[in-house]
Amino acid sequence: MLHEITFKVNDETVTLAVKSHHTLLKALREQLGLTGAKIGCENGECGACTVLMDGEPVNACLVLAVEAEGHSIETIENLNKSGELHPLQKAFVKNNAIQCGFCTPGMLMMAKGYLAKNPNPTEDEVREALVGNLCRCTGYIRIIESVLEAAKEVA
Amino acid sequence: MTTECVTVGKSVTRIDAAEKVTGSVQYVDDLPFGPSLLYGKLLHSPHAHALIKHLDATKALALPGVKAVVSGKDTPKPIGLYLKDRTIFPIDRVRYVGEVVAGVVATSEEIAEKALELIEVDYELLPAVFDPYLAAQPDAPLLHPDLGKYEVVNFVFPEPGTNVSEHFKLRKGDVDAAWPKCTAIIEDTFSLPQIQHVPIEPHIAVARWDKDNQVTLWAASQSPFAQRDLIAQSLDIPHGDLRVIAPYVGGGFGGKAGISIEANVVVMARAVKGTPVKVRMTREEEFLSTNVRQSLVGKYKIGVDGEGNLTAMQVEYYFGGGSSNEYGTNIARAAGYSCTGPYDCPNVKGDSRCVYTNTQIGSAMRGFGMPEIHWGLEQIMDRLADQIGMDRVEFRKRNCVRTGDTIVTGMKMPAIDLIKCIDLAAKGIGWGKKEAPTGPNKLRGKGIAIMWKAPAMPPNPGSSAIIRFNEDATANVFVGGQELGQGTFTVMAQIAAETLGIPYESIRMTVNPIDTRYSPYEWQTVASRLTWSMGNAVKAAAEDARFKILDTVAKYWKEDIKDLDIKNGVVVSYKSEREQPLKKMVVYGLPNENYEGWQGGPIVGSGKFMPTYVTNLDPDTGQGTRAVVHYTVGAQAVDLEVDTETGIVEVLKIVSAYDVGKAINPDLVLTQIEGGAVHGMSSAFEGYIYDEKGKMLNHSLVDYKIATSMDAPRKIQGEIVESAVEDGPYGARGVGEHVMVQTAPAMANAIADALGIRFNHLPLSAEKIYLAMLEKGIV
Amino acid sequence: MQPFDYYKPKDFDEAFHLLNTPGKVVYPYAGGTDFIPMSRDGVWKCDAVVDIKGLPGMRDIQETPEGLFVGAAVRMNDIASSELVASHWDVLAQGAASVGSQQIRNRATLGGNMCTASPCADTPPALCVLNASVIIRNAQSERRVPIADFFKWVRKTAVQLGDIVIGVVIPRPAKGAYGSYIKLSRRKGSDLSLVSVAAFTYPNGKAANWKLALGAVAPIPVRSPEAEAILEDGTDEEHIERAAKAAADTSKPISDVRASEKYRKLMVANMTKRAVRMTLERRGKGG
Repeated sequence: MLHEITFKVNDETVTLAVKSHHTLLKALREQLGLTGAKIGCENGECGACTVLMDGEPVNACLVLAVEAEGHSIETIENLNKSGELHPLQKAFVKNNAIQCGFCTPGMLMMAKGYLAKNPNPTEDEVREALVGNLCRCTGYIRIIESVLEAAKEVA
Repeated sequence: MTTECVTVGKSVTRIDAAEKVTGSVQYVDDLPFGPSLLYGKLLHSPHAHALIKHLDATKALALPGVKAVVSGKDTPKPIGLYLKDRTIFPIDRVRYVGEVVAGVVATSEEIAEKALELIEVDYELLPAVFDPYLAAQPDAPLLHPDLGKYEVVNFVFPEPGTNVSEHFKLRKGDVDAAWPKCTAIIEDTFSLPQIQHVPIEPHIAVARWDKDNQVTLWAASQSPFAQRDLIAQSLDIPHGDLRVIAPYVGGGFGGKAGISIEANVVVMARAVKGTPVKVRMTREEEFLSTNVRQSLVGKYKIGVDGEGNLTAMQVEYYFGGGSSNEYGTNIARAAGYSCTGPYDCPNVKGDSRCVYTNTQIGSAMRGFGMPEIHWGLEQIMDRLADQIGMDRVEFRKRNCVRTGDTIVTGMKMPAIDLIKCIDLAAKGIGWGKKEAPTGPNKLRGKGIAIMWKAPAMPPNPGSSAIIRFNEDATANVFVGGQELGQGTFTVMAQIAAETLGIPYESIRMTVNPIDTRYSPYEWQTVASRLTWSMGNAVKAAAEDARFKILDTVAKYWKEDIKDLDIKNGVVVSYKSEREQPLKKMVVYGLPNENYEGWQGGPIVGSGKFMPTYVTNLDPDTGQGTRAVVHYTVGAQAVDLEVDTETGIVEVLKIVSAYDVGKAINPDLVLTQIEGGAVHGMSSAFEGYIYDEKGKMLNHSLVDYKIATSMDAPRKIQGEIVESAVEDGPYGARGVGEHVMVQTAPAMANAIADALGIRFNHLPLSAEKIYLAMLEKGIV
Repeated sequence: MQPFDYYKPKDFDEAFHLLNTPGKVVYPYAGGTDFIPMSRDGVWKCDAVVDIKGLPGMRDIQETPEGLFVGAAVRMNDIASSELVASHWDVLAQGAASVGSQQIRNRATLGGNMCTASPCADTPPALCVLNASVIIRNAQSERRVPIADFFKWVRKTAVQLGDIVIGVVIPRPAKGAYGSYIKLSRRKGSDLSLVSVAAFTYPNGKAANWKLALGAVAPIPVRSPEAEAILEDGTDEEHIERAAKAAADTSKPISDVRASEKYRKLMVANMTKRAVRMTLERRGKGG
């Protein structure tokens, strides 16, 4: 079954034809060419597909594309739209919180969504917030530090 | 040059940071292939061991949208790195639950999925064996009756008629005569299950076999050149007609080294010539059907004399190599020639075997045999120390290898400083200071473990590099080694910049993707070898380019080349103090007076590195002049707590010290240390769980759990020791694997300190620990 | 994932009409965090899904004369952060807050958690101790099912084909009620529970009533009347120990890839102690 949906992606309104059973992740990657959100497990376990839906972090692999109708989606591609790196991105670069980079878009979007609701988190709160974003390379410590550092600038 | 380095030794910003942090990096799955792209799905064996009597794809082929089905009849020629023991698709038998049996190509993933259900395979079940020790016994079911006929490299010794694909023998001194001299002897068995790399990017490959028989393979790959070589041989494609393109890898850890599903995808593409075919492993398939770390059953007997000196060691390592040991044989070999761990012992008897088992293919994984054997070694060392009343750190300092020691294979130990590593780790963790738990219902303990590892390679693995200048004096550096996240592109840029005498910012690593058509040859991105080997090639290429520049300018100025140097992108003469910027001259050359002709021209430098001194080892004794190129050593100390109500372990602090020769980028070394510590910690709790028929039960992230942000220790302290390696660029050698080798035994040692309980068999779990505390009466 | 159709009805009439399509398997669809993985795995196969999230009242959290109403499509994070829920029904907020990760909790719904009825679901134990009632509606009528009768077996509830769970109604507890939800997993954070305990106490004249519900240790959440009686008799260490043992005896855990029966039983006892002590601590602090 095909649906024509209209929704916002990175502040732009788009209209797409999507199949019922296709996920938002598939639509973003294959129909809009927004490949920043990654396929890591398609089960909501790894967080590599994290995007913001109406400002809140969700696993795009667990949202049907058709459900995006009327909503606002933000992906990693939007984070430095001003031309300058977002404070979170700057912190990640400065602190070497990136290795293979595959988990990075999901981490950044999760952090962005989280800081919008909790602008002054403790280390434990950041650890808990990121628990749905798996990283196999960095050991997390620099990612946590970067989020805490960026929180001060974002607030 | 005795001047201080400008770029090398500095923690410059990663060269790939900006593109990764903006999400603009393209991994294989992000590459566009257009609307004609077809999708492939793989059929997996439901049986651990069975003959394939008949495979019928008629119904699958009749499904609308299905373009092809391929299987063993399409792949008669064997494939393999060290031992050609399998065909791309199995022909006559399957050897593990999950083995790839056939491939379907269709216009959509859903159709391909549906087609799998329509392929009919008749199997005849055979008895299976899963435990490597049992599989090595004479009465075990035979997985490879034709083992004696397989093509094998001259340094691997399979035992036809058995399941043993490699048997490395180490005989040094006389252990039988040495036991009576020992005051304390510990004999025990340790084991580890299979674990998986769990890269966040699953395996993926796209292949296109053009109608003119040019073949292109895009793969998430640590080994584009090795994959080209192996696939070319097995499918009779001329090397020059097979092109492997490998963009950034989303985590490798060895799992994307050698060959996994890439050859299967090429065969599927051949069936639909002219159209690209993509196969992306689901996370479940990643667990079920790609490579794993081998399981191990290790039997140890170690003795010390009255003064606490290691006197005799006898070890038997049975590695569960899985259904195919084409790469895994080298793991048993490496564990064989390094079987003592980083210790000096005059009498050693080691037998390290790679054994076929009806489980996933045991291939390269971070540590390559070292984490497996150190699990038992480091716990026994603790127990020996305890038995003779010596401090566990003192025991290690007394017995560890030192520079110049004649080590277990008869080789002289190159320069390392393991003592310093031990001291740093012990000091960092507050060794000897018993610290109170951080809260009620917790028991706290500290543990230490040391390690060594050499790059486990064939004797002649080569690296090469090309450097080419642009008009504005930026320089393109071409290499064939892969960025997995370990930071190799950054380190190469630093080496190139330092050697050339130009700023780091002027380097352009021309490496995304690595492309066997354009990139210079690199054996594989494995073995923690790139900083050293590819770094040497880059340095050689830079020296070549540097010489060509200085030669041109020296002739131009009529000066002695020995008086010239390049500093910050400018050629300078120490004698005349003249200066010549590199801009333009590196492409256009330099004009003679009055423009009466020109000198010089485009500067291109090339370089290679291949070790020339690795020798054979005696097949009966494992002795030889030079077994390996070098060793990296390290020490790791862990401070942890056990919750006495649940058994859950919380790691408070890890202190790691590694001797890297030279830290080209110190902060990147620290990031490896941190990532490795968490990976090592996680590995202690990971393990494949099978039912009695060999079917994996926890093949998803729901039940195969890896460390999360909440598991990471509060603090990881990294310390860098630098004992320059003789033939490394600026003295550097690798560290990417070493950082996780001994974390599991360090934790076991800390748990023993906290609870007085030892665990011989991984994985650890809260349940295991709690039930052990209950049995001991602690709770 | 094999194809299915998707419908988003404007009202309940349309929803019921779709759910009752003859010859088709049609599921209600809420957060998708169980449906999509199960559909991918081929465990749940259907011809179509009906998105019920937008139907009237399904997203409401409000206080009514009967108590707290939480709509079936209310998300875990909305329950976890609701001041209203926290005011008297905090143990439910604790259960909701322990589900998965932030990303999951921004989509997973109360109704979905209940209807999937996994034995290790995190909202059922809290709903049990809070004495919730489930409102179920179909094309013909609406009915109330007490929580004690809602869960039937592993992944089986009182929901029939053609039903839509509308939400739960939870009576307002007496003033001075406190509860704790303790969830034990294999590691810290974002894991299914091996054992969970919801403890709840409220004043009853001069005495205190206790309710204890165990999750993940039986096909459905179980209350432990024996443990409750012991706690109502007293809450010193000796009583807590005995109550913990009674709770463990009530439980019927299995051995699976995650944990053994033996460990689970031991953990029921330990987590019961934690839940009771934490509840007492909350009561002592008065908030």
